[in-house]
Amino acid sequence: MKFKNIAAAAAIAWGSVASAAAYAETEITWWHAMGGQLGETVNQIAADFNASQNDYKITPVYKGGYEETLTAGIASFRAGEQPNILQVFDAGAATVIAAKGAVLPVQDLLNENGGNFDINDYIAGVRYFYADANGKMIGMPFNSSTPVLYYNEEALKKAGVTAPKTWEEFETKTGPALKAAGYVPLSQSHLPWIFTENFFSRHDLQFASDNNGYDSTNVEIKVNHPAIKDHFTALKKWKDEGIFGFYGASWGDNQKPFAEGKVAMWLGSSGSFGGLLQTAEFPFSSAMLPYWEKVTKSPKQTFIGGAALFAMSGKSDAENKATAEFFKYLTSATAQYDWHKATGYVPITEAAYELAKKDGHYDRFPAAETGIKQLSLPAGEWTKGYRMGFYVQIRDVMNREYGRILSGEADAEEAFKNIEEEANKLLSRFADTTS
Amino acid sequence: MTDMTSENPVILSSKEKPKAKKLKLSSIIDHSILIIGSLFMLMPVLMAFTTSTHDHVTIHKEGLMLSIGDQFAENYGAAMFEKGGFTETVDGLTMLMNSLILGIGFAVGKIVISVLAAYAIVYFRLKFATLAFWIIFTTLLLPLEVRILPSYEVVHSFGLSNTYTGLILPLIASATGTFYFRQFFMSVPDELVEAAKIDGAGPFKFLIDILVPISKTMVAAIFIIMFVFGWNQYLWPALITTDETMFTIIRGIRQIILAYAEGNNIPEHGQAMALAVIAVLPPVLIVVFFQSWFVKGLVESEK
Amino acid sequence: MKRANFSNPWMPLLFLLPQLSIIAIFFYYPAVQAMQSSFYLEDPFGFGSTFVGLRNYVETLLSDQYRKAAIFTVVFTFLVSFFSLSISLLLAYKADKVLRGGSTYKTLLMWVYAVAPPVAGLLGVMYFDQSFGLFTYFVADFGWDFKLGVDYYDTATAMVVVAVWKQVPVNFIFFLSGLQSIPKSINEAALIDNNSGFSRFWTITFPLLAPTAFFLLIINITYALFDTFGIIDMLVKAVPANNPMTLVYKVYLDGFRGNDLGGSSAQSVLLMILVLILTVFQFRLIERRIHYT
Repeated sequence: MKFKNIAAAAAIAWGSVASAAAYAETEITWWHAMGGQLGETVNQIAADFNASQNDYKITPVYKGGYEETLTAGIASFRAGEQPNILQVFDAGAATVIAAKGAVLPVQDLLNENGGNFDINDYIAGVRYFYADANGKMIGMPFNSSTPVLYYNEEALKKAGVTAPKTWEEFETKTGPALKAAGYVPLSQSHLPWIFTENFFSRHDLQFASDNNGYDSTNVEIKVNHPAIKDHFTALKKWKDEGIFGFYGASWGDNQKPFAEGKVAMWLGSSGSFGGLLQTAEFPFSSAMLPYWEKVTKSPKQTFIGGAALFAMSGKSDAENKATAEFFKYLTSATAQYDWHKATGYVPITEAAYELAKKDGHYDRFPAAETGIKQLSLPAGEWTKGYRMGFYVQIRDVMNREYGRILSGEADAEEAFKNIEEEANKLLSRFADTTS
Repeated sequence: MTDMTSENPVILSSKEKPKAKKLKLSSIIDHSILIIGSLFMLMPVLMAFTTSTHDHVTIHKEGLMLSIGDQFAENYGAAMFEKGGFTETVDGLTMLMNSLILGIGFAVGKIVISVLAAYAIVYFRLKFATLAFWIIFTTLLLPLEVRILPSYEVVHSFGLSNTYTGLILPLIASATGTFYFRQFFMSVPDELVEAAKIDGAGPFKFLIDILVPISKTMVAAIFIIMFVFGWNQYLWPALITTDETMFTIIRGIRQIILAYAEGNNIPEHGQAMALAVIAVLPPVLIVVFFQSWFVKGLVESEK
Repeated sequence: MKRANFSNPWMPLLFLLPQLSIIAIFFYYPAVQAMQSSFYLEDPFGFGSTFVGLRNYVETLLSDQYRKAAIFTVVFTFLVSFFSLSISLLLAYKADKVLRGGSTYKTLLMWVYAVAPPVAGLLGVMYFDQSFGLFTYFVADFGWDFKLGVDYYDTATAMVVVAVWKQVPVNFIFFLSGLQSIPKSINEAALIDNNSGFSRFWTITFPLLAPTAFFLLIINITYALFDTFGIIDMLVKAVPANNPMTLVYKVYLDGFRGNDLGGSSAQSVLLMILVLILTVFQFRLIERRIHYT
């Protein structure tokens, strides 16, 4: 591979010339998956960081969806051209964390670069999702979201109901009333995330063996549970009765009819808040994710979703320092508050949350606080998160089988049996890739 | 290619008269079928164009439009010149340039290496001729799509991602062009080489002075096919270009659908349709204007 | 081979060098890698891999989903080939027949060749959209509640329609050039026999076009297998879910989206074998064509 060496040498030479010219700034790159309005906010953060000092320069690059960003990051790592920072979403966390040596744990990185890292600075709900089995934080939770119920205030007023707390209430009261008022009562945007992963967390049910997968890669999924099968049987019934609408597997398919005012309530991400402010032409607010009273009387907190920033290994100390500086900047209370305000993603530190409260943000937008309140609910045994490999494919399997349930091709019994079998096969394949 | 409407009024008119009525009815049916067929082909793109002249709120509410709106300048201006992304350097114009470089680079590169390779195979007594032939033609077996992951790694490991070289070379690595020129050279009369040899022309001189000039039409024809093929590449550019300034216009189309699927903003339907129209215009114009070369290239190259 | 050859020993190698080196680096090396990794389970980041023998192949072939994708691919290929071949044959026959406007029709019917598959897919998304799609609107009058991306068969319908639309021009051009190469005297002789247009087509013209049609069938199969990627990716909006998919799309999904290198490579190798069979078939067909003409 002589050619490669020459190319690399040339790149290094060019790089040193370029950086010498630019006041010896250390340049780092950040690959992310934030499109649209979120992408603009990311660009703003980067621009602000660059303007705040003269030593480092960060360039964010939009790489497409979450899955594409992860794949691009992996391929570039294999080729030795990885970015300094890679945004990895919840479902990809296991892949990155299982590959020991691919990333620098953010906890170590910050400690080595003079940022006194204390995991207790972070709000309870986000501390351990991206941590290893020993509780060391590996990825920096960045856009942390949680599923919340958005509702069209006009629609609920017209129907004379309030946002449902439980699914029983929705089934017997809210749903039929909204339907009578001429709306499609409910839609949602991510069946695996909202109605599976967070279903298990909200009802404090075990999602996978070995401590939800955190303790080992020899893990088995416990998705085939009577409670969730009942839930999906109910969903299909609701769809047939016209109190639940399903418009496709992509996020926008289901958010659009809500933003258009056709659907009265929509289960989306707390991070959808900023986008909805721009697109919805009616007053809306949000409430916590409903739960089944018949399953639990004391609902628990939900997992964080969204994504984390991972510092890729194989970079020079100077660049790692720049990455650490950027992380410090990003976790500062003001930066977190700005991000929270613009997007609706939850602030990840206690300090930022306090700042938002003090600034009166939640007096102006009560809906913006729902997500963080939900993440701060009492924790249960199974609310820390989950860690499973090839989880992107497992989600694809779920999406497929849920599609079959909702179109009447399969009943919940058959669908969940398929998910369990295929997911366990994938998990065992993943376990063998790491051995 | 001869034009298909080579009418011969003298002969036909004598035949037409006795059954003029019958012919008339059947020709009405023929024309109706052809008009319906033409509309079927034309409508989707035509409606993309008319839709692209409306503002996105109208489109959002009323769907595809058949009338011409008043937002032509705004939407096309935005699609062509509005800069997006962090670096604020990628606009429709940049993407068009990249597509142009990919299309032309691919076509020229492919033609040059295939003419050379086909020349070597056809005109030289080569020890490993059969082996070389099979090494080259086995590549017909395996489209880039099925070996895309390792190809991606190879290009990456040479540091060629986000370069035109990395974009173009792996696409060239197939034998379609070579196969085509081999067939063509085989049909060139042997007398030409013999005459050239008698005149004392060496292999280089024969190639440049005789073979290339007589291949001109063929080269033009294959150029059009290859240009369209290169311009329309989708998966490969989507994987290998991560730097926004390297995006091709077809890669830009992918960003539209992603924005559509994410649903965070009201999709800019008008601009999206404008970009789609801009993306199809150059190859369509080339195919329409150089129709006879294009048809020749297609029919010959696929044989 | 040519009779009159040059016999310079090194020059042909020089001419072959660019082609051979590009093929070696960007074709053979990746292809061999794909074959090799089909026998391994590999950590996506490349830290470790385990030799698993034929496990990837066995699991692929035993998987219900692979079988489902294979069946869809066959049905999809058949439908796309059938409809695009018959529509373009009809159009080519009529375009060859009409006395006026032939060249205008020809242009109108062929230019879509230059439209990129993903753009065709994007137009499809707009046409078949659940809330404002023109097609959705139209079929709703007939009681068809068309749901792109939700209903498996509706999505499959959209894929077939868009793929056919995109493929008509190629078939049209080949059929037309085939029709034009039929000597006029044959048609005139048939006219004198005073057959009806319909039976004249089936007894005289169609048999003469049969070689073209056979050859086009291969072209269409290859198209439906590989070149429809952009159309499918757009129509499912990059989320596979309960949507139909072709085998090539599955290679991409498992390898690129799911990072299962071993499984995806095994699928690639299976596709290579399929293409090998098709190509052998094609070569034999071409030989026969050359023999006849």
